Amino acid sequence: MPQHLDVSTTAVALPLAFMITGVISLICVAAWLICNPAILATYHYSPNAAAITHLFALGWLCSVVMGAIYQLVPVALEAKLYSARLVFLQYALHVAGVTGMVLAFHAWNMKYVGWAGSIFATGVCLFIYNIVQTLWRIPRWNVVALSVTSALLWILLTITVGLLMAADKTGHAAFMFQFSPLGAMHTHAHLGVIGFFMMLIVGVSYKLIPMFTLSEVQSRRRAAASIVLLNIGLAGSLFSILLQSPLKPVFALVIIVALALYGGELIAIIRARKRRSLDWGVKYFLTAIALLIPLSIAALILSWSGLPLNPFTSQLENAYGFLAFAGAITFAVMGMLYKIIPFLVWYGSYSSHIGKAQVPALADMYPARMQMIAYWLFLAALAVTTIGILNSSPTVVRIGSIFFAANVVIFAINAEKILSHYFRPAIKPLTTAKAL
Amino acid sequence: MNAILDEAAVLETLSQIIDPELGCNIVDLGLIYRVSVADRLVRVTMTLTTPGCPMHESITMGVKNALLSTEGVAGVEVELVWDPPWHPSLMSEQARIALRVQPS
Repeated sequence: MPQHLDVSTTAVALPLAFMITGVISLICVAAWLICNPAILATYHYSPNAAAITHLFALGWLCSVVMGAIYQLVPVALEAKLYSARLVFLQYALHVAGVTGMVLAFHAWNMKYVGWAGSIFATGVCLFIYNIVQTLWRIPRWNVVALSVTSALLWILLTITVGLLMAADKTGHAAFMFQFSPLGAMHTHAHLGVIGFFMMLIVGVSYKLIPMFTLSEVQSRRRAAASIVLLNIGLAGSLFSILLQSPLKPVFALVIIVALALYGGELIAIIRARKRRSLDWGVKYFLTAIALLIPLSIAALILSWSGLPLNPFTSQLENAYGFLAFAGAITFAVMGMLYKIIPFLVWYGSYSSHIGKAQVPALADMYPARMQMIAYWLFLAALAVTTIGILNSSPTVVRIGSIFFAANVVIFAINAEKILSHYFRPAIKPLTTAKAL
Repeated sequence: MNAILDEAAVLETLSQIIDPELGCNIVDLGLIYRVSVADRLVRVTMTLTTPGCPMHESITMGVKNALLSTEGVAGVEVELVWDPPWHPSLMSEQARIALRVQPS
C-alpha cells in the first residue's frame, strides 16, 4: 500500500523545491549567455551549447514542469498523488543528475555524461512510476490524462535516445553508428520539447485555461484530436528525423495540424470566456502559443531535405531551438508558474486560516505591474536575441541576453515576494466579527 | 445580547470568505446554493467554480471554520454539489462588475 505523507508536504514543499531549483537554473542560464553569447551566435554542436541546453531543458524546464505536474495531476485529474517519498527521492536524483550532466557536457566527457544521465534517468523513472500509479486512481479518463500519459512515454524515449547517444560516443552502442549524430541529436531534442513539454502544455491547458478565464472546452473531439495527431506526428518524426528521411516535412505538417487544432480550440475557449479581462499569467501563455506560428514555419523550412547547408541555415536551426526553448515553452511555463507558485504558497500558508482570519487573494501576493514589465522585456529579449543569432552576432545576442536576464530577475523577485508569504504569512484578524 | 441565527446572518458570515483565485467572496460569487439553520446546526449546500478546483478543501474548511467560530452555532454540515454546475450568471451584480464578467 502506498503511504501518503501529510498533504501539505506533498502539495507544497516538494513542488516548491523543484520550482526554486528551476528558477536558480534559469538565472544561471541567463548569466552564462551574457558571459558567453557565442554559444548562440555559432553552430550548436559544441560542449558549451550542449551544457547550457541541458541546464535550460532539465535544470529550468524539467524542474518546474515536474514540480508542477506533481501538484497539477492530482488537481486536474482528481486523484491523490501515489507517493510523496518518491518525489523526495526523485528530487535528489534530479539535482545530482542535472548538475553532473551540465558539468560533464561542459568538459565534454561523455563517460560522465552517461553516468550523470543515468542518475537523472533513474529519477525520471521514479517520476513516471509515481504519475502512472496516480493515473490508475483517476475516476475517469479525459484529454488531460491522455496528454500526461503520452508525455510520460515521450520523456522515456527522449532519455533513452540521449543515453544511447552518450553510450555511442564512448563506444558502447555500436548500432547507433548507423545514424547521423546530428539526426540523433535533433530527434532527442524534438522528442523532449514537443513530446514532453509541448504535450503537457497542450493537455494541461485544456483544464487550466478554462479555469482561469471562466470558460469551458468548446469541442472535446477537437481537443482529443489535437493530442492524437501530436502523437502521430511525433512517432513519424522520431523515425524520419533519425533516418534523415525526405518524409520529415510530412510529419512536421502533422504536428503543425495538431497545434493548429489546439490553437483553434484555445481561441474558442477564450472567446467563450466569461471573465473579460485576461490576467498577465494568461497573456504570457497566449503569447507563447502565438510563437508557435513562426516556429511552425521554421520547422517546415528546416525539415525540407533540399535545404542547403550553409552558415545561415545553421543559424536558423539555432534560432528555431532558441525560440522553442526560451520562447514558446518558457513563456508558457512562466505564465503558468505565475498561477501555480502563488497557489502552492497560498495553500501552504493560508488554507488552514481561511474562515478564521483575513487572507490575501492570489493576485495580492505579487505586483502585476512588475509582471507586465517583465513581459515586454521578455518579448524584446526574444526579438533581439533571434536577430543576433540569425546574424551570428555575439554582441547582439549579448544585448538580447541582458533583456532576458532582466526578465528573469523580475521573475525571481516576484517569486521571492510570493515565497515570502510561505515564511511570513500576512494574516489579519477578520474585520467584521459577526455575532449571529 | 444574542443575535438571531438565521439565513441572512449565515450568508453575512460566509461573505467574509474569499475565493483566492478570483479574489471575490463566495456568497457574491454565487457558490452558496442553500443555507438552513435548525437547532443551532447550520447546513450549507454549496458548489465551486469548477470540479477539481484546487481550493476545494480550503474553501469548504473555511466555511466550517467561519461558522463554527460564530456565536450560537453548535454544528456545521457542508454539502458540496456539482448539480447544477456553477455559472457566472449566479454571481451578484457587484461581483460581475468587480471581476469584469460578462452578463449572461
